[in-house]
Amino acid sequence: MENIIEVKNLTKEYKNKLALDNLSFEVKKGEILGLLGPNGSGKSTTINCLLSLLSFKQGNIKILGKEMEPNAYDLKKEIGVVFQEIAVLEELTVYENIDYFCGLYIKEKEKRKQYIEEALDLVGLIEYKKFYPKQLSGGLKRRLNIACGIAHKPKIIFLDEPTVAVDPQSRNNILEGIKKLRKEGATIIYTTHYMEEAEILCDRIIILDKGKILAEGNKDSLKKLADIEEKITVEIKEIKKENLEKIKTFKTVEEVNINKNILTITYKKGKNNLEELMKFLKQNNITYDKVFSERPTLNDVFLNLTGKDLRD
Amino acid sequence: MTVFKTYFKIVKKYKGMILLYTILLILFSGINLSTNDNNTNFTKEKPNILIINKDENIGITKNLIHYLKKNTNTKEIENKEQKIKDALFYRDINYIIYIKENYRKDILDGKNPKIDIKTTKDYNATLASQILTRYIKVQNIYVKNMQNEQEIIKNINKSLEKQAKIEITSKINTTQIEKMNLYFNFASYSLMAIIIFIICFILTSFKNKNIHKRITISSMNYKKHNRIIRKASLLYVFIVWILFSLLGLILLKDTLLSIRGIIYMVNALVFAFCSLTIAIMISSLTNNKEAVSGIVNVVSLGQAFLCGAFVPTQWLPKNVLTLAHILPTYWYIQTNELLKKLEIINLKEIKPILLNMLILILFSILFIIINNQISKRKQKIE
Repeated sequence: MENIIEVKNLTKEYKNKLALDNLSFEVKKGEILGLLGPNGSGKSTTINCLLSLLSFKQGNIKILGKEMEPNAYDLKKEIGVVFQEIAVLEELTVYENIDYFCGLYIKEKEKRKQYIEEALDLVGLIEYKKFYPKQLSGGLKRRLNIACGIAHKPKIIFLDEPTVAVDPQSRNNILEGIKKLRKEGATIIYTTHYMEEAEILCDRIIILDKGKILAEGNKDSLKKLADIEEKITVEIKEIKKENLEKIKTFKTVEEVNINKNILTITYKKGKNNLEELMKFLKQNNITYDKVFSERPTLNDVFLNLTGKDLRD
Repeated sequence: MTVFKTYFKIVKKYKGMILLYTILLILFSGINLSTNDNNTNFTKEKPNILIINKDENIGITKNLIHYLKKNTNTKEIENKEQKIKDALFYRDINYIIYIKENYRKDILDGKNPKIDIKTTKDYNATLASQILTRYIKVQNIYVKNMQNEQEIIKNINKSLEKQAKIEITSKINTTQIEKMNLYFNFASYSLMAIIIFIICFILTSFKNKNIHKRITISSMNYKKHNRIIRKASLLYVFIVWILFSLLGLILLKDTLLSIRGIIYMVNALVFAFCSLTIAIMISSLTNNKEAVSGIVNVVSLGQAFLCGAFVPTQWLPKNVLTLAHILPTYWYIQTNELLKKLEIINLKEIKPILLNMLILILFSILFIIINNQISKRKQKIE
């Protein structure tokens, strides 16, 4: 697949402190690339460098095969950005805001009108188009923020943590919208520190920490980097110590923990772990309420790679 | 065009504020325009004098007394020192003339006898002094050149009979000019507030860090975007000026269509553009709208109070006026005051007015330089 963005050896310093350390990656046409990392890992700095909003010490950035520069207006035409901070004019209505930002790219009034309607539909704000931003909830404001960034139908869209502090309904709406945009052919660079979002949305994920790429790949290949394969949690009424010791002797069990009435068993690998455990509980007349089985998350991958939690 | 249209869409959102300051101006002007006296009439005034004659009432002395009685209101008061003092104190009389013994003889002998006077030193006393001086000067000329007393008296009276014919040719309606002056002085507050408030709010919106970022990454050149904003601001200022001029035309009618009225409007236009540069400078100081609102209130109201927009400058303390020299409104109002007093309008007379306008332009240049310096510093920090 064709590379839409190529980043080579990107290095950025803030007052002699390394913010980006020799970053190299590509973004393929039509994919959603996730930049995942905790706060301060360099996600936003990477995006700002890609957009020429920040200068950098060394490296090379090519977008659509051309060098990205502050005055590369032909390239900027193909780019849409949704920043983490809401950037709308409080004095304008929802419709007028989208019209203004779309108007920075598209001069034809009729075309713009059509694009605005489509953007409103995409983010589910049609019925709010005459509302002023101060009349919208936080989630609706975020949707407006997205509409302002993508109304001009760009080929490449940068979404910098667009779901921060958003209610579940708006989050779902935003995620659905992003999927729609991809279907329409857009290439998306999505930064987040919500691993669930990255898992649901992204074709490929780059895990960043302290300005370095820790790992890169699709969610399945990344999860292989985690030491664990499965985690089973059981809400148990009572369990004897000897039974706990017996569980520890299971072939693939890595760790067994009991906290109040919650039993957590971590497995290294293997299949049929749940079946084996159920059988054991029944044989030993151990009564339980609920059982959960979890595959490793990207947080587990991050934990394994850095020794700290993604949200730390 | 989108940016330009958006600018005026935002202006429209602040129409309430524009309306508020316009109503304030109408109310203030309405109060002043409701008085309609016209004081172009001319009346001849006569001072109240007292003549104490110790000479014989004949010949030259008699003629002097006759002349004085004809041109003043001659009062009869008992020749007692205390009564005379009281009459002077209570302004019953403004001028006392003491004609000494042998006045007539001394004149005819070619001596220059002294005439003692007492005066209240006011306008009427000055007028009496002028009347007496005029007579003495004419008398001295004829006494030097003639011998015959009757000939001298005849010539004195002939010369003094020649009256200057006074005709008021000036068509200046001082009441209307005063009203125009009050309108434009108060307009300085409304004009400055409307311009600074709205331009500051619009510019702080566009300069908001996140909006600025969004514009920078768009396919529109940021410098071009700024150029459009500047053009829209200029047009806005021009529209506000036209609005105020039209309002002036409705309230002051023909008076505004005179050369004087046009100079008043030009002065307001220069002041409006100076206000624009103040707005640009303030908006570069902060992006916080509440802070902007506070600064704008201090700037517009403060200048109006210190420079005489609400209170005539002659009533303001000297030290306040000295301080006001550093404020643009002071120079705008000074121009209005000069215009009010101007009798003849020609290039020579309007030179001080043009100089004041030049000072306003220099203020504007200064504000632009300060704005550029602040912007450069901010860019460096970012």
